[in-house]
Amino acid sequence: MSATPEHHVVGRRTPRVDGEAKLTGHADYTVDHRLVGMLHGYPVPASIAHGRLEALSLDAARAMPGVVDILHHGHFPDLHRSPNSMRDGDAVSEVRLPFEDNRIHYHGQYVALVVAETFEQARAAAFRVAPRYRQEPGAMPGLAASDAEGSEAGEYTRGEPELAFGLAPVILDETYTMAAESHVPLEPHATLAEWREQDQRLVVHESTQGVFYQRNALARIFDLPEERVEVISHYIGSGFGNKLFMWPHAVATAAAARMLGRPVRTVLPRQQDMMTTGNRPASRQRLRLGAELDGTLVSIQHDSLTETSMVDHYVDACGGVTTSAYACDNVATRQRILPVHHGTPCPMRAPGEVSGLFALESAIDELAVALDMDPLALRLKNYADQDPQRGLPWSSKHLDRCLEGAAERFGWAARDPRIASMVDGDEIIGQGMASATWFAGRQPCAARVTLLADGTVVAACGTQDIGTGTYTIVAQTVAELTGVPIERVEVQLGETSLPAGPLSGGSMNTASTLPAVAAATRDALAALKAVATGPGGDFAGLAPESLGVESGALVAEGRQASFAEILAHRRLADVTGEGNAAPGDERREYSFRSFGAHFVEVRWDPGISRLRVARVVSSIDVGRAINPVAARNQVEGAIVMGIGMGLLEGLDYDPRDARLVNANVSDYRIPVHADMPEIDVELLDYPDYRFNELGARGIGEIGLTGVAPAIANAVYHATGKRLRDLPITVEKLLASDEAPTGL
Amino acid sequence: MQETPEHPPEATVSVHLRLNGIPVTIEVSPNAILLDVLREQLGLTGTKKGCDHGQCGACTVHLDGRAINACLRLAVMCEGQAITTIEGLANEGLAAGDALHPVQQAFLDHDAFQCGYCSPGQIMSAVALLEDRRVAGDIGTVREAMSGNLCRCGAYQNILAAIQDARLRLHGQEGGDDA
Repeated sequence: MSATPEHHVVGRRTPRVDGEAKLTGHADYTVDHRLVGMLHGYPVPASIAHGRLEALSLDAARAMPGVVDILHHGHFPDLHRSPNSMRDGDAVSEVRLPFEDNRIHYHGQYVALVVAETFEQARAAAFRVAPRYRQEPGAMPGLAASDAEGSEAGEYTRGEPELAFGLAPVILDETYTMAAESHVPLEPHATLAEWREQDQRLVVHESTQGVFYQRNALARIFDLPEERVEVISHYIGSGFGNKLFMWPHAVATAAAARMLGRPVRTVLPRQQDMMTTGNRPASRQRLRLGAELDGTLVSIQHDSLTETSMVDHYVDACGGVTTSAYACDNVATRQRILPVHHGTPCPMRAPGEVSGLFALESAIDELAVALDMDPLALRLKNYADQDPQRGLPWSSKHLDRCLEGAAERFGWAARDPRIASMVDGDEIIGQGMASATWFAGRQPCAARVTLLADGTVVAACGTQDIGTGTYTIVAQTVAELTGVPIERVEVQLGETSLPAGPLSGGSMNTASTLPAVAAATRDALAALKAVATGPGGDFAGLAPESLGVESGALVAEGRQASFAEILAHRRLADVTGEGNAAPGDERREYSFRSFGAHFVEVRWDPGISRLRVARVVSSIDVGRAINPVAARNQVEGAIVMGIGMGLLEGLDYDPRDARLVNANVSDYRIPVHADMPEIDVELLDYPDYRFNELGARGIGEIGLTGVAPAIANAVYHATGKRLRDLPITVEKLLASDEAPTGL
Repeated sequence: MQETPEHPPEATVSVHLRLNGIPVTIEVSPNAILLDVLREQLGLTGTKKGCDHGQCGACTVHLDGRAINACLRLAVMCEGQAITTIEGLANEGLAAGDALHPVQQAFLDHDAFQCGYCSPGQIMSAVALLEDRRVAGDIGTVREAMSGNLCRCGAYQNILAAIQDARLRLHGQEGGDDA
């Protein structure tokens, strides 16, 4: 980085550059866009989960005021399915096209899309569409209601885990289950599609975490060249994974726009959003641990079963974290999937690993109890100094520092390990802890940076800001390298007309995007230096490499000329730089992961049966935090989501017919202000320059991993009840047949 | 499904509002919800729709100075009433200005948002509770009073800090920290 230390913008607490737009109502989310002549789409969801659509009576709906058309199986264009390839960038969430046939695979599956002049008219008419179903028996309401074992979806073995388990003096064999969760991004999924007849172009506004994936998928589905599909997503009302890949509402809306020759906007009602746009699938995980009497782990076997839908094969790989979590020579993970009559699951914040860690970190706690060992000491005892799966060194691992630092701030040393031994008034205090981890990955990225004659800079990249702060950290990177004040850096994101950027997912965005932005900035500065040292330039005759960059100016020989002056003197409007970045060979030499630790205090008031999380102390190491304010916010928010996972959240499917019962945000409970504990987050600062030049590994997911098991472990400490089924509701706590304590 | 194939022609109703300080008359259908009228008819898209069921608070606006969920109110019910949206919080008018209300400024200073979608609702609720003398200023009360506004990004800690800071800026008094 070229700026002087006092001018560092990267790593500094910087207010978000998009803050004013969001806080004044200016920010244009997908749902805020309107076009002249725009129609409104309103889907009709199936009211059964398994069967056939036998008839669709449309007369009453068609007679309603303002209705323009009703799309359904008998009235829909002949489209292709997307090849659904990650490699080719056209992955979709649900491969089946809307209205593809008359079969119903899940409650909420669209059977029609009503298109009308106004939203009120579309909604009113949708309730007049009269489907007739033939419900079929045997709907699968979820894996909790079944003993089915599902089908193979991957396995891993090192050493002799079965043998070692059989010989171990201390063993644990327990099963952990989790309800399906809903992402509930506050902005519902929405599509505004426009078919431009004159240039045969499809333009789509979508609340998406990946504009390029959606563009490519739409191109395949509608048989259009990619250049004739444009996807725009300037602001996204969060996603957490369920806006990574396109869902059928977007296809139906785009088809309607092309059929009708008018723009169509569909905003999913919350209920339909929760039924049709993915979930973190329920899981059942069996953990078998074997240990020596001193706590040395000699065997870990992790068997996972997760749900998928009847129409897709989604794998939520729970064991992915277990293969490298502890120094253990004998490890096996097996993954199976079970099709159920739900909408297709999809990645949800820290997919697979957050579920896997619930099981693994609960089991480690149980093992600590069995060994009469401190669970923190047990974790340090089995510390993996290198990646035991790949046999490679970690690029940068400071989990020990996280565990010990958080323990000290939490006051772990003062914890009395005896059950229900810590009491404060009417409340029993429970204290538990768990490790956090998430892999560090990168995706290819291109970016463009333009230095303008008015002294401003424009940085452009076709990635997205889903609330994590991408707009701001791109601006910080450009400001850092150019010395231009951040107020004069404009960042353009969220359009497929910009250089191809990565998904906003997997905590990969920062490490993918910023190196490309940095490269583009240096390219633009090189172009400016060429102008300045060329004929008629401010530094004519000097070697370009002899010029320095300072505060938005080039400097040499004790004098300086601002970017604006240099461009004006050569009568140029701007110079532009392009940059590309992609993962290199570093993965052959190192394993890349982020690590952290959560310490949780719960309070159980047996008199009024109240269970709450009172305090969370966390230390997280993600390399360098480009913007410590936004980074801390990510971790705090993830902890809040972890409280939801631990105590509140679960999609309820009726065991009789697999219908989703709680598809709203009152009955599906997400944490509110009143659920907030004290949260104390420490971000370690160990830049990981082996990973990329910024030293950042990404921070979106890791804060969620480990929170739920830390809560479960704390509940055990408070009550003596080991709850192995999330969420840990008061009802489950009271119904637990283990001996109640503290009553 | 109910069989009601016959429908009267759609009539509209005139409604007079004082919207962000400006008198306006709108023609709305009887089943139009205030939230949809603000967003679709009046172009005030700062007020957000999160659930349309009065469960998330993203659509919070002020009706005669009280915070309400705009998704739970028919537009025709608002005859003669004053409505303030996020666009009119800092300055009167039907388009958002550049000025920030002290609560908006506090949200910016404390990074009290991530995706920003719930923020207009959070801010409108915060302003209403800070102006309501019945609502005590301690942390527990504020958390309870704000619990109708969901933030799935989980920025609650920063939102609380912003509200308590704004309390100081507006009223010059600390809220107290007994939870």
